[in-house]
Amino acid sequence: MSKVKSYAWLAWRAVVPHPLRALGRAGTGEERFLAAYATEGLCPTSLADLADAEAASACIGCGLCEAACPLRNAIPAIRHLGLPAAFRLCGKSDEMLASSAAALAACSGCTGCEPLCPTGVPVTRLVRALAARAALLDAARRAESAAPR
Amino acid sequence: MTGSALDRTFDVVVLGGGVNGAGVARDCAMRGLSVLLLEKQDLACGASGASSGMIHGGIRYMTSDRNVTALASRDAGYIRHIAPHLTFRIPFLLPFATHKEGSRLVERVAWYATEVYVGTYDLFQPLKGGKPSTRLTPDELYRIEPSLRPGLHGAVTLDEWGIDGQRLCLLNALSAAAHGAEIRTWTEATGIVRERGRVVAVRFRDSLTGEHGEARAGVVVNATGGWSPRFGRANGFQVRMRPGKGVHLSLDRRQSNYGVICTAVDGRQMFLMPHENESIIGTTDDDFFGDPDDLEATADEVDYLIDGAASLVPSVRRARITRAWWGVRTTLFEYGAQEDDLSRDHRIYDHAAEGSAGLLSFVGGKLASYRAQSEELADRVVGMLGRGTLPCRTHEEVLPGGDEVPSAAELASRHGIAEVVAARLVFRHGSRAREVLRVADDDPRMKLLLCRDEGILAAEVAWICRNEKVRRLQDLRRRCRLALGGCGGLDCARPAAQVAARELGWDAERTRAELADLLELGWRERRPILDGWQLAGEELLRAVHRGLGGL
Amino acid sequence: MMPASVRLECDVLVVGGGMAGATAALAAREAGARVVLVKSAGGSTSLSGGAVSVAQDPTCAPDSPFAARAGVVESARRIAALRPGHPYRLLRDRLDRLWNAVEFATGQLSSVLAPPGGRNRWLLTPFGHAHAATTCQATMAAGDLAEVRGTLVVCGFEGNLGWDPSLVASGAARVRPLGGPESRATWLDLFRWEEGALARPFELARLLEAPGAAEEAGRVLRRVLVRGDAVAVLPPVLGIDPEGRVADRIAAEAGIPVAEFLSDIPSVPGLRLTRAIDARLAEAGVETLRGEIRSAAGPDLPASVGGREVVARSWVLASGRFVGGGIERRGELRESVLGLPVLASEGPFADPGIRFASRPPATLTQRDSHAPQPLLAAGLRVDAELHPLDAEDRPLHPRVFAAGAVVGGHDPASDGTGMGVAMLTGWLAGRAAAGRGA
Ligand SMILES: Cc1cc2nc3c(=O)[nH]c(=O)nc-3n(C[C@H](O)[C@H](O)[C@H](O)COP(=O)(O)OP(=O)(O)OC[C@H]3O[C@@H](n4cnc5c(N)ncnc54)[C@H](O)[C@@H]3O)c2cc1C
Ligand SMILES: Cc1cc2nc3c(=O)[nH]c(=O)nc-3n(C[C@H](O)[C@H](O)[C@H](O)COP(=O)(O)OP(=O)(O)OC[C@H]3O[C@@H](n4cnc5c(N)ncnc54)[C@H](O)[C@@H]3O)c2cc1C
Ligand code: SF4
Ligand code: SF4
Repeated sequence: MSKVKSYAWLAWRAVVPHPLRALGRAGTGEERFLAAYATEGLCPTSLADLADAEAASACIGCGLCEAACPLRNAIPAIRHLGLPAAFRLCGKSDEMLASSAAALAACSGCTGCEPLCPTGVPVTRLVRALAARAALLDAARRAESAAPR
Repeated sequence: MTGSALDRTFDVVVLGGGVNGAGVARDCAMRGLSVLLLEKQDLACGASGASSGMIHGGIRYMTSDRNVTALASRDAGYIRHIAPHLTFRIPFLLPFATHKEGSRLVERVAWYATEVYVGTYDLFQPLKGGKPSTRLTPDELYRIEPSLRPGLHGAVTLDEWGIDGQRLCLLNALSAAAHGAEIRTWTEATGIVRERGRVVAVRFRDSLTGEHGEARAGVVVNATGGWSPRFGRANGFQVRMRPGKGVHLSLDRRQSNYGVICTAVDGRQMFLMPHENESIIGTTDDDFFGDPDDLEATADEVDYLIDGAASLVPSVRRARITRAWWGVRTTLFEYGAQEDDLSRDHRIYDHAAEGSAGLLSFVGGKLASYRAQSEELADRVVGMLGRGTLPCRTHEEVLPGGDEVPSAAELASRHGIAEVVAARLVFRHGSRAREVLRVADDDPRMKLLLCRDEGILAAEVAWICRNEKVRRLQDLRRRCRLALGGCGGLDCARPAAQVAARELGWDAERTRAELADLLELGWRERRPILDGWQLAGEELLRAVHRGLGGL
Repeated sequence: MMPASVRLECDVLVVGGGMAGATAALAAREAGARVVLVKSAGGSTSLSGGAVSVAQDPTCAPDSPFAARAGVVESARRIAALRPGHPYRLLRDRLDRLWNAVEFATGQLSSVLAPPGGRNRWLLTPFGHAHAATTCQATMAAGDLAEVRGTLVVCGFEGNLGWDPSLVASGAARVRPLGGPESRATWLDLFRWEEGALARPFELARLLEAPGAAEEAGRVLRRVLVRGDAVAVLPPVLGIDPEGRVADRIAAEAGIPVAEFLSDIPSVPGLRLTRAIDARLAEAGVETLRGEIRSAAGPDLPASVGGREVVARSWVLASGRFVGGGIERRGELRESVLGLPVLASEGPFADPGIRFASRPPATLTQRDSHAPQPLLAAGLRVDAELHPLDAEDRPLHPRVFAAGAVVGGHDPASDGTGMGVAMLTGWLAGRAAAGRGA
């Protein structure tokens, strides 16, 4: 098929099928977009989320804050993961966050960690913020998998 | 000559363990041919491990031949089918920008054209499980992606798939091996042996053991990518191509779940997109005629990428860049010369006319089309061998671990590991995550978490060493992204080396040499981007590995 | 007017509570000054591995015997002669005071640090490397490879894969011909339950502090000992609190001296050191404020920290480097408290005239990671009185001093002089700030 034919086809699509399709579609572009993606956990990132991500990026993984983090009631696997993982593995993407809800919920908010952090990560506030988003994403994910297909 | 186990006759000897080499090895092996694959470094050390990792459905072919788009989309669908665990959806935003205030008519027409174009691509989306595109108003766009710079006029969206190209490559090689192929990494093809105008054997040398010899071959497939012009020159045949260097930057985490297409200072298109757990910025594209083993990212390339991405997403300048990485693309010399050829961006050269009958070279192509490219190559091989074989089944039979994507939550609770760790394990290993966790069940010490960037367990390192053709510690960079995160191996490098040493029988000196090698690679990738917290991390890393490790 | 409770006046303000800042504060205090120390966190000092590295002979061959190597001060002199950008070079006329500084600092921190000897100790690291250090934490001293007579038993914990004793012991094997001991690796049957397998270093340290735990470890150790075993080294998790005396308790039960090897990250010894520093500062009457000083103006002018204002006659900047926070790079290198130019470097960029604050990282580093890396040696340039220099190479202020890793020209993370520079410059700066010359 030649280039000319391809362009002719595209031009025809522009004049007839495409406008028709636009008429036939329900909802706004945003609604369609979110219906397609947010349901798969691909949600928008707010500026506040982005600011948290930036703050979390200050973590250099030195592990000092672990010394203060009690995590007494957490199961061994979560204790082993440690809350500094919040800024790394857990906080790297929404997908990871959604799987980290339980781990992040283990933070007691005791603030023992913060004075230890050499790079000044606002550990307690961030773990709280990440935990909140994780809980939301996790809930959305559960709702989605429970919804009838 | 030595008494190497490879000094025998194979139907096919494949040179190069990139995605094309591994893909053709798999296809040939599945058709019942005896196959040897030689890779001078590790699988996916070349372009295949340095690609943007996108499985596009061939949207750009719509202007020339929509059948090609259909084929490419169908092939993307096949990859989804054979490696579902390794793929992830990337919604792209194609924002509408103007040069001046307000939008001019021509610009509005151009936007509508884009909308129609991407909308037409929707016809092919079902073939690869993609979702239809949408047009977004400016308000909608900023609600969906608030980090975009002000002044945009809306966008259209485009759905594509991303993949872990390094593991894709590996899984093809493992599948080939499961069908009887011999896969030899760190073994270089050092020469071609001819008899009466025919290529009859390949000389090889194992760079770790020094073992060398000649493997006899019915057909030799040269899939050495960016290395092939040099390899050809050294061995009396010519591979014409135009190698181009491409650099990417990784950010330490996802900035967004959506990718954006931006315009670089020179007007080229580039992107900022989520990839696995990171965002990546790519890519540069400059001619490169040097030695592909000697690449590095330059300061200019790093600036070019940051400037381009920041022109659309200004906050990128504050993000933490963790590394710069690079690869060599191979583009055809005369691009798209054959109008109606399905293979418009790849070609298979038969070197018979140069006195090298029985030698094929593969040039160009895409990671996304590797399966179709490999099928085409395998067809040619079969034709040259003149022998009946089984039909191609590479689109039907799943790659190792691709039969099921287990639930991370369920694995986590069954095996007593953190769910987020299980999620990474499932991504990398699919159904074989269960086998990995069996290692941890047998020995609970193996639940030790080595890496808090990638969620790598000691059990995973051990299992990979046993099952995934690991010969060097650095191979783990490509198997499970060991030491590729922002920490550069701060926590993981030493304990991973310890586990690998137990599995592979390394003594302490070898272990230290492997560690030093792994760390050196990381240093090269971070050196051009050291800034902000990444620089603080480097100070720490250096204190540990140079200061305490003496490495 | 500020209420008196919010405003603090003092003779010396020390910015930074790492080894350099602590040494400066304690030296100034000893000289009778009223001292306020501000720190935002622990810095590199709290991550360090337990060694106090002052100087290692740069002129001797790697295979020269321990006994043939120069002493610590002589080694520092040789470094000064060979490395133009190094702080030891700037202070070459006062290197005779290096020993006073090291004795002073280690003496002040004698709750955790062993007294220094004139020669370096040789300590094992988790990587199987023998690291030369002038002194180390008291829990590590018995592991000095130059002193062990008999077999050194390198232990790992059977239940925890964090450390591999055979890798660690390989460091001893390599220096065996230089005067090191025989060594062997063994696993202690400890922590063989899920909690132990998954415990992180700080948790292991706490587990060992628990009543009876160290004694149990000692009994386990005794079971694996054979004739000729002289000293046992264990992973660096032998308690966080020195009062817990974990190493001694294990040793008492095992009947053999017990030491830790050095630590990587996370570092129990680093935390231990930081706690000892904080305790000593309080005991010595140094007022410590937690918080960050940003964009301050220097002596005689108020600087605000966590809701309080400090006015000091002299300042000691001991704010560390990138990890500490004293030097940062956000597109450009800068000093974070007073906004001073970052000038110093080493290696091929030793020319002090080169202003490299905004040069791209690729041009401030070298491809071979073993080569000198100017970017990682970046910091303030100082004169021989430790006054930071401004962009015109003039001392910024007669009563502003810099000490420790914030001073450039050395790569404290890797060149084996980190703590030594911190102690020497801290001691000199603290005394100078208090109005006592060296
Ligand atoms: C920056 C960049 C981004 C890209 N992005 C995408 C993308 O998003 N999507 C997409 O579809 N495609 C992408 N591509 C293209 C894609 O990566 C390549 O088409 C594909 O990986 C080529 O694979 P290959 O096997 O031919 O070559 P390579 O992967 O380069 O493999 C060649 C191998 O041969 C080995 N070798 C060399 N000499 C010898 C010898 N003498 N003996 C033995 N072995 C030898 C090398 O070590 C190497 O492993 C990108 C390419 C680049 C460079
Ligand atoms: C992992 C690691 C291992 C090491 N191991 C060894 C070793 O074994 N032997 C050895 O000799 N050396 C070692 N070093 C090097 C050594 O630790 C450092 O050189 C030394 O600790 C530097 O001390 P310092 O006081 O100058 O800086 P730091 O210890 O970094 O202290 C800087 C201080 O300044 C404070 N600060 C910074 N900016 C501000 C501000 N704006 N406001 C308030 N406070 C501020 C910080 O909070 C901190 O208290 C190691 C370093 C690391 C990172
Ligand atoms: S505030 Fe949360 S993260 Fe910090 S120490 Fe307490 S429990 Fe741990
Ligand atoms: S102390 Fe700070 S930098 Fe270190 S691991 Fe914790 S959050 Fe990260």
